[in-house]
Amino acid sequence: MFKFLNPSYVFHLTGKILNFVKIFILPISIIGIIFALFVSPRDYIQGESVRIMYVHVPSAWISLLCFASISFLCILNFLFKIKSASLIYKSLAPIGLVFNFIAIFTGSLWGKPTWGTWWVWDARLTSMLVLMFFYIIFILSYKFIKDDSKALKICTSISVLGLINLIIIKYSVHWWSTLHQQPSINLSGETTVHYSMLIPLSIMLCAFLLYSALIFLMKYRIETIRVKRKRLKKL
Amino acid sequence: MLNNKTKNRLTIFVAISILTIIAIVFIFKTLEDNVLYFYSPSEISKTDEINLNNKIRIGGMVKEGSVKTSEDEIKFIVTDFKKEIIVSFQGTVPALFAEGKGVVAEGKLKDKKFFVAKRILAKHDENYMPPEIKKNLNKNAK
Amino acid sequence: MNLNIFLMNGHGFYVWSSFLLTTLACLFLFLKTRKSLKKLEKEFIKEAKTLTNKEFEDIKKQKVVKAILLSYSKN
Repeated sequence: MFKFLNPSYVFHLTGKILNFVKIFILPISIIGIIFALFVSPRDYIQGESVRIMYVHVPSAWISLLCFASISFLCILNFLFKIKSASLIYKSLAPIGLVFNFIAIFTGSLWGKPTWGTWWVWDARLTSMLVLMFFYIIFILSYKFIKDDSKALKICTSISVLGLINLIIIKYSVHWWSTLHQQPSINLSGETTVHYSMLIPLSIMLCAFLLYSALIFLMKYRIETIRVKRKRLKKL
Repeated sequence: MLNNKTKNRLTIFVAISILTIIAIVFIFKTLEDNVLYFYSPSEISKTDEINLNNKIRIGGMVKEGSVKTSEDEIKFIVTDFKKEIIVSFQGTVPALFAEGKGVVAEGKLKDKKFFVAKRILAKHDENYMPPEIKKNLNKNAK
Repeated sequence: MNLNIFLMNGHGFYVWSSFLLTTLACLFLFLKTRKSLKKLEKEFIKEAKTLTNKEFEDIKKQKVVKAILLSYSKN
């Protein structure tokens, strides 16, 4: 049980999982893209543009999930000085940022043919943009602030504000009138997406999660080597 | 169980978090009108004084059978099933604009019942399904 | 060949460009990460070799270091 907390065992494990992920990522992505672009049906109102959903929705989910985990780990590190948590949140941040960027841009490309505009300042879209700025400030502050404890304090403040922003993103479409539609997939309650569209959506979600795992593991190795290198210099 | 330093950090953290949450709730309460992307026809009819010069947005459903297209103008009724507003618009509407679907119009109010739009956006709902399924649903409904 | 599969009733531009953008963004992050990982491994080994033999043997005992050396020698 305790070997999971041992950094050298974890490092060894990342290598193994990395090989495993590398095998599956390409086939699943290709199947996902074929389903999303060609096999899945068009929508009864939106027509073919509904296919943008298959990249837009999973990337939005992953960017929210990433920020939630980052904030949780960062606060944990601040409160209980769990240093190894910083390896994980530093590895997660770039993934979240990239998926946030993808979500906003594909959303824009989806908005033009459906709503008739690239961008509007409604609550959902604006709060998603704010999340992107939080990601950027978070990454910049742990990269460029040399004083570790100062960087941690700033990161924790961003985490708290970001968590509140996450709640705003989630409920923005319920609390206020927005151009963005209500959620179609609810864990508790009705899902208003036909199953023939849920299949490509879940394959694409799997592909994106595998990709996130791939980047996360590589980043985790980078961060571990960085720590080791610092110790090497002290010798 | 926790040492003093951790306890201190925890107290400061909880205090600051609660203060931040309260501050943000107040900010959003005061800014409520700016956060709303559009007003519904009911909200328009409820407000006592409306500024006719301000650009605002109204949103709701396009009433079935209300769309009238003439040469250079399109007229339709926006409804939230309680109140209605007539909207007139010159220009092309988005492809998803249709009767019985959501719409957001940006422009100025002439009076509480009449709205001149400068821009029309289509608001779609959260339902996604293939056209064949929709046809079957409609058949079953009849 | 049915061209409409690619044109998608006029929505082709939006659909294709959003898929293209996603692929490019993902590829960019992947390549950037892989490059910095390789660079870091190389630098780490270079620095480790500047150590005296005894120090080198000492850090070699750490499993992480061993794994880094191993993954580097594979490439």
